[in-house]
Amino acid sequence: MHEFSVMSQMIEGIIEESKKWNATKVEEVILELGEFTMLGEEQLRFAYEVLTKDNILKGSKLTIVPVKGAIECDCGFKGDMSPSEDTPHRSVPILECPKCGNLARIVGGRECTVKNLRVVVPDV
Amino acid sequence: MGQAGFTSMHKVVTVEMEKDILAENRHLADHNRALLDEHGIKGFDFLGAIGSGKTLIIEKLVDRLKSKGKRAAAIAGDVSGDDDYQRFVSHGIPAANINTGKECHLDAHLVDHALDDLPLEDLDYLFIENVGNLVCPVDFPVGSHARVVVISVTEGDDMVRKHPAIFAFSDVIVINKVDLAQAMEVDPRILERDAKRINPGAKIIMMDARRGEGMDELVSALGL
Ligand SMILES: Nc1nc2c(ncn2[C@@H]2O[C@H](COP(=O)(O)OP(=O)(O)OP(=O)(O)O)[C@@H](O)[C@H]2O)c(=O)[nH]1
Ligand SMILES: [Mg+2]
Ligand SMILES: [Zn+2]
Ligand SMILES: [Zn+2]
Ligand SMILES: [Zn+2]
Repeated sequence: MHEFSVMSQMIEGIIEESKKWNATKVEEVILELGEFTMLGEEQLRFAYEVLTKDNILKGSKLTIVPVKGAIECDCGFKGDMSPSEDTPHRSVPILECPKCGNLARIVGGRECTVKNLRVVVPDV
Repeated sequence: MGQAGFTSMHKVVTVEMEKDILAENRHLADHNRALLDEHGIKGFDFLGAIGSGKTLIIEKLVDRLKSKGKRAAAIAGDVSGDDDYQRFVSHGIPAANINTGKECHLDAHLVDHALDDLPLEDLDYLFIENVGNLVCPVDFPVGSHARVVVISVTEGDDMVRKHPAIFAFSDVIVINKVDLAQAMEVDPRILERDAKRINPGAKIIMMDARRGEGMDELVSALGL
């Protein structure tokens, strides 16, 4: 439900960054999105479309790279959680270690990171 | 002096940015927690469905702490209005009100501002009531020491399955209004079972906040 405000913060940051490089245009934004965030890809794309209508990002491509959630356990296990049967469409963080059954910690999958930009800059 | 062609004067480069919007909030949350630590304050944030009983539970905790000679304060987070804030004030504790306006959740920055309005030197405990919402607050920790999620049987027995993430990221899970379970034909044990499966480490407490049932368990789960 907060995709819009997250996206507008993100775009503010991108505009600032592109100024540093004297970019004339942003061609592509590469975004890493953790599966444990409450940010929906569809809603992010919609917000992106609306918020790039009249700025340096106009017409640019948003590439979303999904990042799998990861858990870690004292027994040494580190990796994916056991998949949950109930919710095929959304990842449910289940904190039970698939190896030993003890309580595991979430160590990945909460990111919403603008990794890279592809920008057009003057060739000097 | 002819233009040498647009393309030859420009090139496309890849710029590394590595900026995580959510991480910025988490960083601010750490800052809030450090501020509480500096003052020896234990902070708890209460999340949960709309009307599940968050304010009532905090009111009861505040009264208990008062009778033990401990000093608590509360931050009320609501989309608009000051109803919950006034309820906290009526218990004679310092309180701050945050209206989130368009936003559906508190964030660490808003809480940081509210902390400015509280007499941190004079406090032992701080309760932060988030906006009633089982989705958004998951992405925005505010800097408490423990998170309590409150749901009630009146929302149905599928609440946990529908919003699993919030239960995975909480320390204490309160299943409130068990007094209404029969009338609602909802079995609170289903909620308990689902919560346990998603977060086996969380304390799960059955509560009737009106009558104070389950309050002892909550007090000990929070170490109050
Ligand atoms: N029967 C019953 N009613 C309860 C219980 N806990 C709270 N209530 C009632 O439920 C209503 C909502 O309680 P609040 O404490 O305002 O709930 P809240 O979660 O703070 O609500 P919002 O801040 O608006 O999301 C009030 O009328 C409470 O008296 C309970 O255990 N049993
Ligand atoms: Mg309330
Ligand atoms: Zn939100
Ligand atoms: Zn393990
Ligand atoms: Zn500010």
